[in-house]
This record gives sequence, C-alpha cells and structure tokens, in this order.
Amino acid sequence: MARRVAVTGLGVACAIGADIESFWTNLIAGRGAIGQLQSLDTSALKVGIGAEVDAELVRAGLKRLRRRPTDRAVDLGLVAAADALEEAGLIDGAPPYEAQPVAVILGTGAGSAESHTTGHARFHERGVRGLRPSTVPRCMYNSISAGISIHFKLTGINYVVVSACTSATNAIGMACRMVRDGYADTVLCGGADGFFDPFYFGIWNNLGVMSKNPDPARACRPFDADRDGTVFGEGAGMLVVESWERARGRGARIRGEVVGYGESSDASHLTSPSAEGQAVAMRDALASAGARPDELGAVNAHGTATRANDECESESIRAVLGDAVEAAPVSANKSYFGHTLGASGAIEAIAALLSIEYGVLPPNLNLENPDPECRVRLVGAEPEPLERPLVMKNSFGFGGSNGVLVLGPGNRG
Amino acid sequence: MDEDGGAAILARLRDVLRDSAVEEHDWDAVVPETHIESLGFDSLTILDVLYDLEEEFGVALEPKQVVKTHTVGEIVTLLQQNGA
Repeated sequence: MARRVAVTGLGVACAIGADIESFWTNLIAGRGAIGQLQSLDTSALKVGIGAEVDAELVRAGLKRLRRRPTDRAVDLGLVAAADALEEAGLIDGAPPYEAQPVAVILGTGAGSAESHTTGHARFHERGVRGLRPSTVPRCMYNSISAGISIHFKLTGINYVVVSACTSATNAIGMACRMVRDGYADTVLCGGADGFFDPFYFGIWNNLGVMSKNPDPARACRPFDADRDGTVFGEGAGMLVVESWERARGRGARIRGEVVGYGESSDASHLTSPSAEGQAVAMRDALASAGARPDELGAVNAHGTATRANDECESESIRAVLGDAVEAAPVSANKSYFGHTLGASGAIEAIAALLSIEYGVLPPNLNLENPDPECRVRLVGAEPEPLERPLVMKNSFGFGGSNGVLVLGPGNRG
Repeated sequence: MDEDGGAAILARLRDVLRDSAVEEHDWDAVVPETHIESLGFDSLTILDVLYDLEEEFGVALEPKQVVKTHTVGEIVTLLQQNGA
C-alpha cells in the first residue's frame, strides 16, 4: 500500500526572507521585495529590476555552515537546506555531520549559472589557460544537489531535475513518489536558482518576457489587466519529506503533507503554454490525491504575470475545477519575490503549506484591476481565510512541462 | 621554509588558499605549521590551489610536488625553490 508523505522540515532563501518566519511574516503583511538590481550592471538592458536575496543574510547563513561562497545557486540551496534539515531534526547546527540515508532531489532552471558565466568569461579572455581545474565540478548542474549531499553527508541518491520553471515541483513530485512507493524513507527536495549575471539575465532580457514597468513595487502584477511581464528573482526552497510512519515514529513535528502529484507535457510549443496540457497535470494530481475539485480550499498559481501564462492558467483552472472554481481562491506569490525559475515551485509550495498551517491566504500584490479574461476567483489586497486545508500548487515551464502538487495539513486523519 | 621573504610569500599564500577554499576558516591564524587538510582541501580543490599559485607567483609547479606537501610552510618552501 502506498505510504503517506509527511513534510517535516522547511527552509527558504528568497527576497522576502532567508528564514521561514520572515518569509511568512512578509507574505501575510503584503510586503514584497522587488527592487533595482544591485548585483548586476543593467545599464545596457531593457530591464533593471528583480528580487535579490539580501547578500548579508546569505553570507551569515554560509558562515553558520562554515562555508565560503562558491556559486550563487549552490549557496542559496545550502542556506535553505540547512534550515529544512535542522527543523526536521536531521542536523544540529554546524558541521561535522553524521552520515545518514537521506536522498537529495532538487530542481533548477539555470543550474550553476554563476560558474558558467565566470568560466566563459575567463575562457574568452585567456583561452583554455583561463579555466581553473574545478570548472567542471562547479559547472555541473548537479553541483547543487551534490554540494548539499556532500556538505550534510546525505547518502541517499542525489540529482537535479531540469524542467525550466517546473523543476522544483517535479523534484518534489519525484521525492513524493520515492517515499510513497518505498524507494526512500526521507528526501530533501526543492529547488535553487541564482542567475543575476550578465549572460543569464541578458538572455531573458532579450526574450522580452520581463516587465518593463519602471516601478519595481508595481511591476509584477499576476492576473492584473495591466500586467506586462514577469519579474525575476533568485532563491531556494527546501522541504524534508518522509514517510508518515517514520515521522510519527520518531516524534517529528509534521508541518504538512504532499497528498498528490500530477504531471504532463504539452508537446506543442517551446514557450507557449497549453491549457489542455496544464489541465491534464491538474487532474492527474487530484486523482493522485484522491480529492475532488470541490475539496480544494485554494489554488497556488504558477501566476507569472505574463500575458500568456495568466490567461492560459485561468482557463485550465476553470476547466478542471468546474463549478468549484469560485470556492477556491487563487494566490500568486511571485508578486512578492519574483519568478525564481527552477526554485519557484518549492518556494511557493512552502507558502501554500504555511497558508494551510495558519489557515490564511496572503494577499495578491498589485491586483488592482483583475483581468476579465482571467475568470477565476482571485485573493484580493487583504489576506483571507483558507476555508478548506487542501491547496493545489501549479508550476508550468518552457518546454511544455507541467507539474502540480496537492498539499494538505500535518494533522489530517 | 626560508625566513627571508617567507613571510611575504605566506601572506600571499593565505589569500590564495582563502580564495580557493570551500570551507570558512580564520585565515589570519594560518601559520607555516598549519596542515593543508585541516583547511578542508581535498584532491580536487588542491588542484585549484596549484592553478592559483602558478597564476599568483608566476611559477610552474609539478602537481606531484604540491600533492606531497602537508603543511602551509612546505608550500612556501616549494614556492621559494621554484623561484617565487
């Protein structure tokens, strides 16, 4: 029989907080943190705003782990992972750590982008002679999961899932299946991305999906009629998931449950989403959870604030929820900490789990003029109660990948 | 390690070690007797140290020689022997 999947640890590092308490406090207070980018010269770019993680907080988090910075995505991942593992009672403070059979399954969109950009810059400047010996291990996408596995001595399998903006949700889904089906007892899962560097931010700049609104606080406007694109953020979100029996048996505090997971591919276009493909993943997730649409208390949307995503996602949510659509308010957290690409599914899943725990949905920022084409019930400018403690978390990525989680409370039956 | 110029080389070596390191340490407390392994370097990260030493001091070092060193002072001596 399939095992239930308990969430026993949470960790986050994003623009609105590098610890769970600050993250939730800012969410519920409606305090976003999108601003002018400080770590990157954007003078030649169309867009100069984003959601950066406070450099001092990252430095302090690494110092606590007795680590020096290596690559932004790895660093953010380590800081968030430490909190999740510590909350779950798997580590206690600084190294050295005891080896333990915990798997590490992480999503990332841009991987170790900083190391790639640094390596390329050195190569163009000095040729092969400019490449340090560690360039290979630093540039591996799995340097994020490997770095965390090695640092914390986690001996279960480690790998990364790369599916653009769906990466972390797919990673949590894989972890959920591993635990459900008995392939692992405990998995650290989530995602990390840090790509505010001239190359990676530059390519997004040229794709034209970013908001050109010069006012950072008002630029990211999911489901608003005046939205003109997404705003990027850096960050990491980590969850410790384990079998319900194991968590109970060792007296761990269960903060939530991964109740179901669904996935699909649009198989139609590299960057344009498909409502049909998204709906398949949502129905798959609900079936996996054994839940009806009218049992959902809310939907935590992918909600990128691009014209295409929000309209398409509204259509797919309506198609799946049917008559229940008015009873499941939609949250879009990217208005707070930007689109964190391959980390977004994890950071937003954490927001959804905290909403379930505290019974309240954070407001949607900048939703001043809801788009009439987005015919879903949106959370407004004030927090609102979560009526039923079951939340669907959507993530959709370039490449047509769709991943959907159904999340529940830690005290369900 | 040769005292003449050794202190100056040690100061530059500390910076190289710090910039190549994964672990955080009190770099001011690194002395000639400090063991390289205690600073968290392994068979991979020591290769970055080798690379950075060649860049910093403009010398060519044999990887085998660097791997044989155990202490910071032995690296200083190696650098001096190679013309640093």
